[in-house]
Amino acid sequence: MYQIQHALRDNQWRFQKQVVALAALGIFIAIVIGALYLAQSASVSTLGRQLESLIARRNQLEQANEQLRADISQLRSVPRLLARAEELGFVKATEDQIEYLYVPEYNPARQPSTTTSTETTVKLPEYDESFSGWLQQQLDSLANQFNGFTAGGS
Amino acid sequence: MATNTQQLPSRDEMFNQRLPFILIGMVVISALLILKLISFQQLSPDVVNELSPDYNRTVKLASARGFIFDHSGQRLAVNTVEYRIGISPNLVANPQRSATQLAAILNLDELEVYKALTSDSMYVLLAPRVSAEQGQAVEKLKEEGLTALQIEKIPRRNYPQGTVAAQILGFVGGDLQGYYGVEGKFQDQLVGRPRTEIVSNIPFDLPPQQEADKGSDIYLTIDRDVQFLIESELAYSIDSTGAKSGTIIVMNPRTGDLLGMASYPSYDPNNFQAETDPNIWRNPAISNAYEPGSVMKVVTVAAALENKTITPGWTYNDQGMLDMAGIQVQNWDREAHGIVDTTGILVQSLNVGAANVSLAMGPTDFYKFMSKFGFGRLTGINLEGEAGGTLHVPGDSVWSESNLLTNSYGQGVAVTPLQMITAVSAIANDGLMMQPNVVAKIVTNGEVNISQPIALSHPISTETAHIVRDMMVSVVQNGLDDAASLPGYTIAGKTGTAEIPGPVRYRSDAWIMSFIGFFPADDPQAIVLIKLDEPSSGRWASQVVAPIFRRLAERLVVIMEIPNDATRKALEAQGAIVGETNQ
Repeated sequence: MYQIQHALRDNQWRFQKQVVALAALGIFIAIVIGALYLAQSASVSTLGRQLESLIARRNQLEQANEQLRADISQLRSVPRLLARAEELGFVKATEDQIEYLYVPEYNPARQPSTTTSTETTVKLPEYDESFSGWLQQQLDSLANQFNGFTAGGS
Repeated sequence: MATNTQQLPSRDEMFNQRLPFILIGMVVISALLILKLISFQQLSPDVVNELSPDYNRTVKLASARGFIFDHSGQRLAVNTVEYRIGISPNLVANPQRSATQLAAILNLDELEVYKALTSDSMYVLLAPRVSAEQGQAVEKLKEEGLTALQIEKIPRRNYPQGTVAAQILGFVGGDLQGYYGVEGKFQDQLVGRPRTEIVSNIPFDLPPQQEADKGSDIYLTIDRDVQFLIESELAYSIDSTGAKSGTIIVMNPRTGDLLGMASYPSYDPNNFQAETDPNIWRNPAISNAYEPGSVMKVVTVAAALENKTITPGWTYNDQGMLDMAGIQVQNWDREAHGIVDTTGILVQSLNVGAANVSLAMGPTDFYKFMSKFGFGRLTGINLEGEAGGTLHVPGDSVWSESNLLTNSYGQGVAVTPLQMITAVSAIANDGLMMQPNVVAKIVTNGEVNISQPIALSHPISTETAHIVRDMMVSVVQNGLDDAASLPGYTIAGKTGTAEIPGPVRYRSDAWIMSFIGFFPADDPQAIVLIKLDEPSSGRWASQVVAPIFRRLAERLVVIMEIPNDATRKALEAQGAIVGETNQ
């Protein structure tokens, strides 16, 4: 310790220079923090874009489903079913061709239940992230981006 | 020698003097940058939007309109998407290739597309409405590099059953508002809750939840099979009788649930714009009033029996004419029928008998019961566009004593088909009149709201209802030459042949013919009203409309699984519960 103090004295460092050194150190730390921040922001931005893309894809699939449902309903419409049934040789049943059976305890005039509420339960993801895991994730992300830059530049 | 020269500061001293300013400058710049960073990260989107509107944009998230189903879950109204395709010609790099690709997808003439792509216009509309399949193919083309394309999605309401139940459903206009029928009445529930969202333009922000609450799904009491049957039968009847228009309603008298309701002419809700006359969008079954004619006699007799004015054994001497209050009431056949009892008034459909009954009741009691049966006011059905009809009562400037006579057999009073069937359903339902209803349940975000039957009034007692019901059974069995009878089933019914009011007097060349019947008479599961306007194939409803009822009932008992009387009683003897409650 004495030797360091002596060396500093010997080099005749002045107070101002020490301030500059501290400021430079501060700027360096700020740059590191900024880089980390940028890395995280870029990661969030990428996720956001992926999410938007997935939402767009989901909307497209939902629209396709809706269209398919409409198509199915059209295919199941009564005129079409009647025509198809006639093609297949079916004929309309008459009252005297129908047999009614007694089914014990069956009530066709079942009473509607009172107003019920069906809650949709959404299973939340389990939070199991540790600090070291998070740190590793950030470093991996940073490394990937640097790799990306390198790859993009070549 | 002393010198007085001012010593200039050394380089180090100058540096030391300037350093604080540099540091302060750096700190200020850093602080500004940090503040800006905080404004991005910490301030709410609203505040950022207020400070710097360019950072955010406001998007309107339209909610998906709820579906409409029939009571068994068949889709009657769904949502689809169509696309509007436009292009900016000045941004097209290779018009020839693009024209070939677009023409193939959009089924357009390639030369026309090429001309559009080489025009000087800033924007050209290539196709105003194309299917989702075509739209998605064009979207793919845009993703592959044809960025000049401008693709706009247009939400569209689709009615997959075509014209079935059009007047019950209504339609959704280009402004995405529901009009007429269920679409109009339940617009607020169906449309859901559109949301306005502020979305950041800054790529670091995650996109918000881009979903609005979906509208409620509505399940109707309408049975698609019954609806299709009555629409088909109505179209056939109109064609075979030469009638101008008509209505058929099928209702469960126990609950008031409508199983089917059709009017002719109708329209295709998928192409509602094609109709030039907007009146066709209305539902005549609930909005067009008519003079019901002799069907009203069952209400008159029921009221008089309930009022104890007459009894089932009450008789009068029918002389074929009643000259009173400045008018001459005559029977349909202009004949005198001698001593006639209460049942005879209905079986022979005697105007003079009905007028005698209302006269005996007096205006106060007669109109009290007319009101109890719901005439002159809305039934409150959950459909848009219901009319209340017209019933003049004592005290009105246009009422006279002659109204008391004519109203008893359905003249001088205007009712909607729905009002008429609702009134007679009280006789079928042991005296209790239920409110007509088309909605079985509404499902909102998984929460099911089931509609419960509502009693409108109790105009007559169970005993009176049964007496009148038996009289209506006699009408079908003895008064119509089996025209409305269905073997194996006991049917109660009444015909009506009403004159049509003209500008000065009733027309002598056209009539409105109707029939109301319910079955099985002792445990009614369906009440049916058939009304034809100006049929030309016969003079009386017993000739024209009663056979239509019979044809319809033959199919209804199959579709609704109503066993004949003998089978039903045998099943009930075993302990079975027979009958379907529409839910």
